Amino acid sequence: MKTATLSVIAATMATLLCAPASAQAETPRKRPNIVVILGDDLGYADLGAFGSEIKTPNIDALARDGVRFTNFYTHASSSPTRSTLLTGIDTHRNGMGNMDEWIAPNQRGVDGYEGYLRPGIPTLPEVLKNAGYHTYMVGKWHMGKAPDLIPRARGFERDFSLLDGAGSYWDMTNFTAASPKSVFTEDGKYLSKLPDDYYATKTYTDKMISFIDANRADGKPFFAYVAHQAPHDPYHLPKDWRNRHVGEYDKGWDAVRQERLQRQIELGIQPAGTELSERMWFVPDPIVLAPISRAMMGKKMELYAGLVENLDHHVGRLVDHLKKIGEYDNTIFLVFGDNGAEGTDLFDMIAGSPGSRDYLFSAINWSQTHPNSWGDPGSYPAYGPMWAQVSMTPFSQYKGWMAEGGIRNGLIVSGPAVQRTKGSINHGVMHVADIMPTMMDIAGASYPRVGDDKKAPALMGKSWAPMLAGQSESPRTEQDYLAWEVFGNRAVRQGEWKIRWQYKPYGTESWELYNLANDPAERKNLAAANPDKVKAMTALWDRYVQENNVILPNRSPYETLEDVMPPRVPDDKAFPPLIYRKQFVPPQDMMADPKP
Amino acid sequence: MTSNKKSRFARFPLLATALLAIGVIGSAHAEVPARFYWKSLTGGSAVPLIVESISGNANPFDPSHLVSDDANFDATLALAGYAQTFSLLDRPAMAAILFPMGRISGEARAVNGASVSQSASGFGDPTLELNVNIIGPKPQVDIPGAMRYEPGFSLDLLADLAVPIGEYDSKQSLNLGQNRWYGRIGAPMIMQLGAWVPGRRTTLELLPAVWLFGDNNDFVGRNLQTDPLLQIDAHLTRDFTANLWGSVDGSWYKGGKATIDGVAGSDRNDVTLGFTLGYTINSNIGLTASYRSTINDSAPGDMRMDSFMMTLVFGWHPLIEGFGRLKE
Repeated sequence: MKTATLSVIAATMATLLCAPASAQAETPRKRPNIVVILGDDLGYADLGAFGSEIKTPNIDALARDGVRFTNFYTHASSSPTRSTLLTGIDTHRNGMGNMDEWIAPNQRGVDGYEGYLRPGIPTLPEVLKNAGYHTYMVGKWHMGKAPDLIPRARGFERDFSLLDGAGSYWDMTNFTAASPKSVFTEDGKYLSKLPDDYYATKTYTDKMISFIDANRADGKPFFAYVAHQAPHDPYHLPKDWRNRHVGEYDKGWDAVRQERLQRQIELGIQPAGTELSERMWFVPDPIVLAPISRAMMGKKMELYAGLVENLDHHVGRLVDHLKKIGEYDNTIFLVFGDNGAEGTDLFDMIAGSPGSRDYLFSAINWSQTHPNSWGDPGSYPAYGPMWAQVSMTPFSQYKGWMAEGGIRNGLIVSGPAVQRTKGSINHGVMHVADIMPTMMDIAGASYPRVGDDKKAPALMGKSWAPMLAGQSESPRTEQDYLAWEVFGNRAVRQGEWKIRWQYKPYGTESWELYNLANDPAERKNLAAANPDKVKAMTALWDRYVQENNVILPNRSPYETLEDVMPPRVPDDKAFPPLIYRKQFVPPQDMMADPKP
Repeated sequence: MTSNKKSRFARFPLLATALLAIGVIGSAHAEVPARFYWKSLTGGSAVPLIVESISGNANPFDPSHLVSDDANFDATLALAGYAQTFSLLDRPAMAAILFPMGRISGEARAVNGASVSQSASGFGDPTLELNVNIIGPKPQVDIPGAMRYEPGFSLDLLADLAVPIGEYDSKQSLNLGQNRWYGRIGAPMIMQLGAWVPGRRTTLELLPAVWLFGDNNDFVGRNLQTDPLLQIDAHLTRDFTANLWGSVDGSWYKGGKATIDGVAGSDRNDVTLGFTLGYTINSNIGLTASYRSTINDSAPGDMRMDSFMMTLVFGWHPLIEGFGRLKE
């Protein structure tokens, strides 16, 4: 009885003491908003938070408020990354087994190689919409143009989207005579024209802000997919953003790369002692170039830097708006680039040769070649492989290739799901496919079943939720592996090891082996010395091929590259001495005039 | 990829076309063509050749344009010279010398009031010019500097001095030499309007200047004094293509009252309108063709003059020439 009486008293007190807390706990906390900011061809080292001299204070502020991830992987090209981001499913199953622009003859008609995001595969916006989220998208889509493939059909309530992979930032001009006009949609309707004051980065931001504001009153969380076109070439940017770095890049790509690496080491992005990757063998040492050559090439990088800074400015506008309306503290931000920086001259590839149809098209639409016109409509500035390597410091190669410079990107995550130390850096191995399960966890969403009893394809990613909560350092174990294939180039990473197979001359057309912990720049091919490791990892590759129906293309954009590029040679510093040796200066006391 | 880049590089020596902006010093109207004060690579040289056909009631070799009532002159004028660009106190500068030559004939009123036929031929007074930029881009000391040149708003200081050593016959009023020192101080201005891209460049250019004249103590045996003369030239220029441009030209002269043996004449107050077409033939050669005419010239004492002018400027720079040799 006595015990019972005490129990009742204790229970009563507990009830009284805990009442407010319980009441609070019963009030459902609003689920966080999710904002994914995707830079198109934005490089690993292009943000201040990742060691760049480019001024990105707004994105850097997100990094200070969140966590930077240094081992985050995308795909080597655009639409494969985007399709994986929005489905969490391997590209060879989600329809992007190859990019629409490069589907090989032997891939045509094969499921998974449609070149667009396959209908029926659940998407992140669909899943989040079903879970009570508003879903908005602005920017580049690049996953299909037919009515059943556009953003509205794939789960976005509101959108303002460029369906093409690239185009003018100023208008609807696209690149080829066969497809001269970029295609845009707004809220599921194809646009006949663009807004009067259209500039891609600005308009996308304006639209996203208007979408968020339009539905704010209902109190539902939102998913905002901000897929910026910037900084993809052509580097179109407003005039007042073009001249913020005049002459700063005349020093050349080697010096800027070295400076970025030094800052990365100081920041903790890369460990002390990290080496730069080789300068691509066909890229000249800027020291031996004439000032005009350095200035011309430097000007392209000036424009690129301005474009990234303009992108950051508009990211800042969105962030400021969320702060103003009181949503910032309840918003998760993810910021990253969709693949390595672009080192290939796309314009040259598209414009073709004199006499061709596309050359004529370019002469009319893309012939503003004077440097002072760069940034204007009709110009096509792009910075080339030398600066792409800078953007991917310290890694090797760039977009399209399976070296780290093609597939690794910097990732920033901030917001309420992140319980790790603000401003910290994490080196866990992560993949763009992880975003789907992570966001589902955070939103409390469940993966749908497709069809009657047929389950949706398995998600390939791993949720970051425990890692963001500080319960682990990586979503992956040492046994987990990642694999990639596009254009016939392929790679596998497991733990600190990586194998890659690439077309010549970027690769050897055989498996190369690298230890990324010791050699993130992939300078030392260890395949010959470690045949067992190669064998074990190629077995993982075979497994990946089997599980994902990987069909290697019988045609590739790189199939004849070796025939048209200079022979590959090592980048031995200061070779040949012939062009590096400085003027001999004799001792002063031995100088004399000629005798009469 | 490679070929495209090479072609883009190959275009850049065409910056040398900027050399063609230099070297054309004052015409017989004391006016220079539009785009004259655009800056170019320092260390560049140019040789201008100007041929002008003029008719009117004032001596075109005399920048004070002393009007002879009822006179009617026809002149064929040529000017050749040399100009050099350089950096002065870290500002872009240009020095030039110009030699006028030609022949002039017509009916002139003699000092005693009689109408007489006169003619003259030979060399006029050579003119020295120094132009130094005060506000605007820094000197183009290398090709990257030339690549980045955009005038924005630029303001120069200009000084001209004519040396009185040209052909002069004190027995007649019509001469090529002026038998007196004279010169000008001015402030050329360029206002860039819009993009600085060949094919799209637009400028408004102004040249306010004051001409100052020494006395001619033997003007047909008399003393000629001329008051300072205000000159304002204006040009609105626009590219039609990367190599072809045009301008609308205007000028206003005010003052410059002539006094002969104490007998004062009247101030000038005349306005000239015209147009110019310019064409850049290649990295070395530029050509312009102009016409202009006075428009407020109905009264007998008004200055009346019209002219056709062709200019050819050959410019060069050692660096650009070296590039050219390597391309051969």
